[in-house]
Parts: sequence; C-alpha cells; structure tokens
Amino acid sequence: MGTREYAKDYSFAELMAVVAAKEVRDGERVFVGIGIPMIACFLAIYTHAPKAALIFEGGYIGGRPPSACTDVGDSALGFRASYITSLWRTFSDLQRGYCDLAIIGSAQVDKYGNVNSTAIFRNRTYQNPMVRLQGSGGANDMVSSARRTVIMVRLERRRFVPRVDYITSPGYIDGPGTREKTGLKGGGPVAVITDKAVFRFDENTKDAYLSGVYPGVSVEDVKSEVGWSLKTAREIKIVEPPTTEEVNFIRSYDPTNVILRRRRLFEEVDFSSWVTLTESNWHKLIRHCSRRH
Amino acid sequence: MMDSKEREDKVMTLREAVQKFVRDGCSLSLGGFCGRNSQAVAHEIIRQRKGNLTFIDDSPTDQLDMLIGAGCIKRVEIAWHGVSIFALARNFRRAVEEGVPRLIEMEDYSNYAAGLRFLAGAMNVPFLPTRSLLGSDIPQYNKRIKIIEDPYDGEPIALVPAASPDVAIIHVQHADVRGNAQIWGHLANDENKARAAKHTVITCEEVVPKEEILRIPNMTAIPFYCVDAVVEVPYGSHPWSCYGYYYHDVIFQRDYAKYNETYEGFLGWLDEWVLRCEAHADYLNKVSQKRLLELTKMEKALNKIPI
Repeated sequence: MGTREYAKDYSFAELMAVVAAKEVRDGERVFVGIGIPMIACFLAIYTHAPKAALIFEGGYIGGRPPSACTDVGDSALGFRASYITSLWRTFSDLQRGYCDLAIIGSAQVDKYGNVNSTAIFRNRTYQNPMVRLQGSGGANDMVSSARRTVIMVRLERRRFVPRVDYITSPGYIDGPGTREKTGLKGGGPVAVITDKAVFRFDENTKDAYLSGVYPGVSVEDVKSEVGWSLKTAREIKIVEPPTTEEVNFIRSYDPTNVILRRRRLFEEVDFSSWVTLTESNWHKLIRHCSRRH
Repeated sequence: MMDSKEREDKVMTLREAVQKFVRDGCSLSLGGFCGRNSQAVAHEIIRQRKGNLTFIDDSPTDQLDMLIGAGCIKRVEIAWHGVSIFALARNFRRAVEEGVPRLIEMEDYSNYAAGLRFLAGAMNVPFLPTRSLLGSDIPQYNKRIKIIEDPYDGEPIALVPAASPDVAIIHVQHADVRGNAQIWGHLANDENKARAAKHTVITCEEVVPKEEILRIPNMTAIPFYCVDAVVEVPYGSHPWSCYGYYYHDVIFQRDYAKYNETYEGFLGWLDEWVLRCEAHADYLNKVSQKRLLELTKMEKALNKIPI
C-alpha cells in the first residue's frame, strides 16, 4: 500500500472488517465463514496478506470469489480455488492442525470467550427456548482445533453476558487450565472484535480485557454494554481508522451492500440491477486476479 | 422384485422417486451445502404432503425451513439451520419457540460431528471419535454424544453416533442412467450421505451417456451401487447455485425471506411457488427462462465444467 490516507466517511461495521483483516498474517491458512469475516479475509488477501489461503467448510479452499458471497457453499468460492473437496475433509484438516486462524461470529459471548449461538433460554428449555439461534455450524469445530480464533460480535449488553446460556463454542470455559483439562487441542480465542471496541485475553487469568476503542468511543460507552466488571489494558489504544483504499475495497467487494448494510440498496434492488452491479465488480476483480494472484 | 440398486436403468420422474422412497415417518437427508441443494425435491415432498419426517443433516437451509413450515417434520438432527447471511430460517424458529405449526424435536451437533456421523454410516461402524465438542454444552443436551477416555492414551475424546437415514436425495451435475453421479464444486457430505442411506436418489442437471462418465471417472463421487433412482431435474437447486451450471439467485431468496417474516406470509409463498406448481417445470416457468439463463451466464463467467 502507498501512503496511508484515512477515510473520512466510514461505518463502524466497515472498521470492524478492517480490524479483523489485520488479524490475518501473510501465508496463513484461515478457516472462515461468510459475512464480515469473509470480507475481512479478502481485504487482507488484497492488501497485506496475498499468500493467505481461505478454507470454507463446504469444501472450497484457496478460492478468490470476485465479490462477497452470501452463503458458505456459493459456487463463487470455487473461482480460482486450488483445492475443492468435501466437508468432513476440510474439518479433518482443521482437526489435524493445518489451520492457523479461525474467525467465527457469535450471538452471545462471556468473559472467558465462550460463545453461544444455539439458544437463549430465559427460563425455558433447550427443546423450547425463548430464542432459538442458528446453532454451531462449524464454529465449535473451529474454536476447538484452530491455533487462534477471533470472535466477531456486535457490542450490546444482551450479548456480553457474565456467563452464556449455552456454550456452543468453548473459549477458556471456566478459566485457566480448563481447555487443556477437557482435551481441547486448539489455542482458543485471541480477540473479540466488535463494532465499538476490541477485547483481548489475559495470558494468565484467561478473561477478556478491553484493549482498544474505535475513534470517538469512550471507555464508559464500552463498559455500559458489558455485563460484567470489565478489566482494561493499562493503555487503551484508539483503533486506527480505515484507509480510503480499505473502505473502497470493502464497498466494491459488497456492491449491493448485502453484508454491511450501510445503505438499503440490497432491500430495494431488482434482479436485473443486481446482476449488473454484481457482474461489473466481477469483471474488475477477475482482471485484477489474473494480473496479480 | 429386483433390488432397485441392481437395475441397469434407474431413471424415473421426481414424483415417482418421492412416492417410492420418502415414506411418512422415515428419516431423510438432502444433499448440498448452501449450494447444489435439493430444492426441487423439498418442493415435491411438500406437494405429496409427507409427514413425521426425521431430518438428518449438517447445515440445511430453506429446503428444511419450508418442510418445517409445511408441517412435514417431526425431528431434526443438525448442526445449523439458517437461510443466508440476510435471512433467518423463520419457520424453524416459529416451530421451536412457539410450536407453529408444531413443535419439533431438536438434536444439535457441530458440522464436523454431522459429517462424521455420515462417514460412520458410510463405513458401517456405530460411531466415530472427534476432538470437537469437548468442553462445550453440546454433549450436555445431546446425550447420544459420549465423552470417553481414549482407550489408548486416556485423554478425553468425543464420540458421535453413525447416521444411516432411510433415504438420501442428492442433486448433482451429471449422472448416467445406472446412477454413477459426478459432482463438480464442493462435495459437502454427499458422498457419505449417499453411502450411509438405505435408499439413495440422485437428481441431476443432466442425465449423460455412460461414455461421458468414463471420460473423467475420478469425478464420480457416488457410484452406481449406492443408487436406487436417477431423476433429471434441470435447475433443481434454484435459487441456490449449482457449480458450472448457474449462479445463486440471491434476489429470489431475499424475496422468500420477506414473505417468510410471518407464518401467513410463508403459507402464501408456498401456495404460489410450490402447491400451485404441478411439477418443477411449472416453478421454473414462473421464475422465467430469461432469468435462469442470466444465472447460467453469470456462473459460466466463474466456473466451467471441462466436459
């Protein structure tokens, strides 16, 4: 990248993608799903980590979809893929230890980085809960076996609870030593990236602490959205804003704004405009791919 | 009667295949994984008003959501159920949270665990071990998952039970009349679902001559000896993508999600797009040939099948 010219106009959802992209190191094998994590990973690939390879659980590995996919088995994930296989095989490779980093989403998270994406009980039962969520998908497998896991979730008090209702994907469970005792081999979560702040985990006590806030967000703003007494880093960083280049990539990669929802475009667009918007971006990135990657 | 797997020509219509193999009360797995889905099959099961089905899968999308909303499902054993990044499986939520149209029994797994269940079924062993699920609450609420000490080194390990559904229905790109099925793009768990099931139905974009299969036999993911029936169903995965054939009709799915906000809305959608269409061809006419060809053109810009 050239000189760092910061974007003046950006959303916190966009910054969230930029912050997550920085967790990806060049050459890493990253196990990832769709949504903001996918945009973050392709941003990394098109900027600082061109040799990173993405593994999508359905069986697509190393592909370069020319625009953001809305589902984890989209055929676009096969575009320029180096390996296409089956689901049990991608997860076996993950369990074998071939994945450096996994990025998962979450509905509820607690101070030990345990994630709930199964159900909110609110005094009801597993079979008939107040809110039935989507379920683990591959998230349990990812956090069980990846070397590092990043959790992405919106910062809201109902999501940041002292203890999740149901541990779908284990973080540090009850604190130091519990992952090891249960037999888990993966390293566990290293960061929780939200739309207002970034949390990391204390090496000794294994609980989350506030590491950085987005520009204009105060520590008090963050604390009021967290349901436990939150520890903070000695020096809380102000997260670097996105560059113009980063924001431009994100917007062109999601041309109908289906992931980041900055505008209502996706709700309103008709079929033929959707085709035109999607294809125009494809032509650009397909040319870019054949030149550089 | 000759075993249906022994026949040389297994071609039948979608209506016949569903009539013959999807029985009320049976357990069922559909193929695909957010792409190459058995959408036309789900519509036909609903048209035939099949009931009390147990649905065993990894991460089903709107095909299960519709089956639940239509009241066909008694129990689900899955790892995830949604529709897309932009849409929830509303019928699934209405069923589990409110019992609309009926309560369903839940059994949760992770995706790898679901995959291993089909692999175990395909291997004809009762379970397989995994390092997933440990330390989570999934085994607390699903007592069929066992955490044991590895008999060799004493470390904790999770066991997941084999899945052997009564019927698996898998949509593929190419099959010959005997059932050799070739899949391009991701395989998901389909090679194992097809082997684990008691009966397996292949639906395909095109029935091809055996000579086409012989050109790249490595691409045969499901061999003839697992297969009971072959059905040609062009655009059988719409609105989902089918690698090398057509791209994902995201806008169609967005519109389904809008109707699906309420149960009444869903029933209206179902009536218009499924119940009033006698067969998949009628549904495709309603979607329109022009739109389908546009999706094909998009897909060919990305992926081509080298045959």
